[in-house]
Amino acid sequence: MSASAQGSSTTTKAVVSDAKNGDEAKEQKPAAQLEEDDEFEDFPMEDWTEEDTQLPGGNTHLWEESWDDDDTSEDFSVQLKEELKKVGKA
Amino acid sequence: MQAALEPFRQAHRAMNGYEVADSLKPIAPRHDPGRLYTFYRASNAHQVESEIRYALKYSKSSGLTRNESSAWTEVLVSYWKAIGEILAIEEATNQGRLCDGQWTAVYDAWKEVTNNLIKHYSNGNLPAWTIVCLYVAGTYLRTFAIKADEQLAKAKGGVTFNSGFQDDVVDSMAKNEKLEDAARQLNRMFSLCIGDRNPIMESRKWGTYYMANLQFKTYFKLKAIGLSKNVVRSINASDLPPLENFPKSHQVTFKYYTGVLAFLQEDYAQAETHLTEAWRLCHKDATKNQELILTYLIPCRLVARHTVPTSALLAHFPHLQQLFSPLVTCIKRGDLSGFDNALIACEDEFVKRRIYLTLERTRDIALRNLLRKVFIAGGYEPLKEGQTDADRIRRTRIPVAEFAAAFRIGMSGEGTGQVLEDDEVECMIANMIYKGLLKGYISRERSMVVLNKKGAFPGTGV
Repeated sequence: MSASAQGSSTTTKAVVSDAKNGDEAKEQKPAAQLEEDDEFEDFPMEDWTEEDTQLPGGNTHLWEESWDDDDTSEDFSVQLKEELKKVGKA
Repeated sequence: MQAALEPFRQAHRAMNGYEVADSLKPIAPRHDPGRLYTFYRASNAHQVESEIRYALKYSKSSGLTRNESSAWTEVLVSYWKAIGEILAIEEATNQGRLCDGQWTAVYDAWKEVTNNLIKHYSNGNLPAWTIVCLYVAGTYLRTFAIKADEQLAKAKGGVTFNSGFQDDVVDSMAKNEKLEDAARQLNRMFSLCIGDRNPIMESRKWGTYYMANLQFKTYFKLKAIGLSKNVVRSINASDLPPLENFPKSHQVTFKYYTGVLAFLQEDYAQAETHLTEAWRLCHKDATKNQELILTYLIPCRLVARHTVPTSALLAHFPHLQQLFSPLVTCIKRGDLSGFDNALIACEDEFVKRRIYLTLERTRDIALRNLLRKVFIAGGYEPLKEGQTDADRIRRTRIPVAEFAAAFRIGMSGEGTGQVLEDDEVECMIANMIYKGLLKGYISRERSMVVLNKKGAFPGTGV
């Protein structure tokens, strides 16, 4: 879908003034570009071997747990105590 | 014409389907950039049919049966005409004199090639080993349809700019006229492949996934994603050979699209299976495709498994890093306002990719991590006599006030300034309990949250 196709669809909504049309078409541009690389590309070859699927870093360590215990939990308890103190005073 | 048809004849003699298909491509090969031109110049509109017929029939060791020979003649004549249109466009573009409707002419001419192929595969005149020709036909039919629609939209856009509302409605309806037509042709080709009853070694069934993938691409482009389900349904109801017997490119593309389809239906378990498979099989140099797979696999794993991509993984994909890394950091830290800001920062792209709503749901994990930090910061119950460090248990009764304080920390920072009442905090905790992210209950009389001693936050080691 080209930028122009996007543009024409917005002008259908904004028939009020030409100036407004122009603005909207401009705003649409990055979105239209975005759509163009949205598509799954054709592979240059039809088939390949297992070796051709390996990532440089291997297929391990791709995912990790969503929490982080090393992440300065000391700081957090200090922060938490201070926050509790604030409420105590108030 | 004899010479111009030599690549086709050689490929056919060698029974090399890919090379036969190459000789039917509407673009010139890199090693022979003048091929289209030479081929087109080898004849003229009056004589092309008889020349091609003669060349195929009387060439030495052509090995073509009469039926196959006349089928190829028909295909190649329509191909010759399509090439004429393509060369005309090339010339017009070079001279900057592209006329309205020229791409439509290419589309129509190419559709003729496609129709001839469909006709002769379907009546059995063309052997299944040349099925790659159908891939070429379908792929370029789609490409030319998109070009034609673009040109039509541009032409119409100029005219309707100042006209009434009525015209605009018509305009937007007809916006994808050619692509919609191409979708119908692709559906015919899909049926032609999947419905073939010949023995499997010489069956067009081997083209099924290629055609299915072309249909997916087209339906996604047309924003008629729902139609893809019909394709999946037909495949599930068929007696195709197992998917792993097909070329990897067919497998990966099919897994990607079925994964995205499951993702959009919020079937994250199914989506994860398909996308992980696509990821595993994807060619290592196809970075763009890997990136697209991850675009859906990352939110999928977040929701289904509460796991995040490592920085090592994101480092390979700068664009994804830019999109996801702030979110991931905030989720790990339990930084709620940071999460909200990161979501807003890339909102447009997330919406466009159709992952915004799924990502929004992962805020629960950030929240879980924040509550978990309160639990960790609470430390341990004092040891009783005779107990060792190994017996110690974490403090499981936590005042609501502590969680409220944590919320204030998590929500601090720019933009939010949100302060939660204790009731609201209780409500959020109740929600977390309901969602199974936290185990325990709220004691309202004591304003305490009493957490489960064995696994207060399931799956997180505490």
